[in-house]
Amino acid sequence: MNQPTTARRVSRSEQVYRACLWVYPHAFRRTYGREMLQTFRDYHRDVTRREGIVGHIRLWTIVLQDLLSTACVEQGKAWSSFLKHVLRLAPKEYALMSLLTLDVAARTDIGRTRAVNEDNVASVVPQDAKTMSEQGALFIVTDGLGGSKHGDVASELAVKTIREVYYQDTSDTISTTLRRAVEQANTEIYQSNKAKFQEKFEEALQQDAFMGTTCVVVVLKDNAVYIANVGDSLVYLIRNGQMRQIAENHSWVAEQIRMGTMTQEEAEAQGKSNLITRCLGSESTVQVYTGTEQVQDKDILVLCTDGLHTQVSENEIRTIAEQYGSEESTQRLIERANENGGVDNVTAIVVRVSLSV
Amino acid sequence: MAEEERDPETLLPLTPAVFHILLALADRERHGYGIMQEVAMRTEGKLRMGPGTLYGSIKRMLVDGLIAESGERPDSALDDERRRYYRLTRFGGQVARAEAQRIVQLLRVAQLKNLLPGVDGIGGGI
Repeated sequence: MNQPTTARRVSRSEQVYRACLWVYPHAFRRTYGREMLQTFRDYHRDVTRREGIVGHIRLWTIVLQDLLSTACVEQGKAWSSFLKHVLRLAPKEYALMSLLTLDVAARTDIGRTRAVNEDNVASVVPQDAKTMSEQGALFIVTDGLGGSKHGDVASELAVKTIREVYYQDTSDTISTTLRRAVEQANTEIYQSNKAKFQEKFEEALQQDAFMGTTCVVVVLKDNAVYIANVGDSLVYLIRNGQMRQIAENHSWVAEQIRMGTMTQEEAEAQGKSNLITRCLGSESTVQVYTGTEQVQDKDILVLCTDGLHTQVSENEIRTIAEQYGSEESTQRLIERANENGGVDNVTAIVVRVSLSV
Repeated sequence: MAEEERDPETLLPLTPAVFHILLALADRERHGYGIMQEVAMRTEGKLRMGPGTLYGSIKRMLVDGLIAESGERPDSALDDERRRYYRLTRFGGQVARAEAQRIVQLLRVAQLKNLLPGVDGIGGGI
């Protein structure tokens, strides 16, 4: 079979499969549509290359059976969830169609030793039901790099860019949109650095003179939390008396432990506790950690910079966040970090989740 | 950090698709089509999973904490397009082991009833 014929068939098949995806519920299509199409394209390309027209027919037989059976299942689940939702909502709540109620507080503090607060924070809970149901609530914590110049500018630029890009881009899945927003923040800061230092950029990198920032970003939508982070700003999930870190710590110490090259004690003894292995602004591309978790009623999320999680024990963070409302929790968490020395800027967002299901 | 302890047995038995996806991710992280290829290869083409079955299963497995997303990157063996990769979680590994043990027990029963003549190596008694 010649190549142009194969390419045309892939393209036509892809168009047909793209149209077929409309049989799935909107939320499923939005989350997995792009990947399903990509997988179909790979599958189709390999099968037609290997088996020609026979493979093409066999593929469509498998794909159509798969489409019909799984679309029924996914539609059934979507309708069942919708009906449960409607039946449990009071008439007033019906208009909002939101299961998610959030008690949120965000606070940042200069600490006791720094001259400038290079942390930044944003908490966005959309007031209109449409944006909330499509894009969810967005929480951002950033920590401008202390050793570098204008860390405060970088952390502010990151917050601004992530917030804008995330709510403007409604074309893809939440995880992808979130990752793209963080990547765009990296690009903005990197380009500012390049424009400032021009041919001396490498030198600026070596001397830590460039501006950079960490970030942890969380989206809460329906009953899921979407996480993206770069650096050592983290987010914890507190559930049923247990707390676990749901971002990835890109500190040098945490990386050694994760790779299994050193124990925590060994890594901490190397005197590199302040080093991070990635940040926004130092390179043209950045590897963003992304993750997803389901949320449950009464879950608590704590986003923070290292000014909090290195100064206050995880046990104490959990106890405070469980014991007090969000506003008082953030206040107490920052007080505790300052009581323990306040050696860094400190920032926290506490989100208490209520799911009326 | 302490993680919430969950009993892997509560999710058993797994559907064939879910178990095959867990097995495909047991040795390394893969993207969607990578999972499909691995499953097709391991089952000698007998299990052909379509994209709907694959992503319907992935959706449930993410909710159950069996797998996690591990970022997007291009696959050098395919093209330059970015693909989302998935990895097994610690809990996913525990569930896969529990399911494998459940199947081994069933095989032992089948062996005892002479339904599997000539199959050795499952080992141990019931």
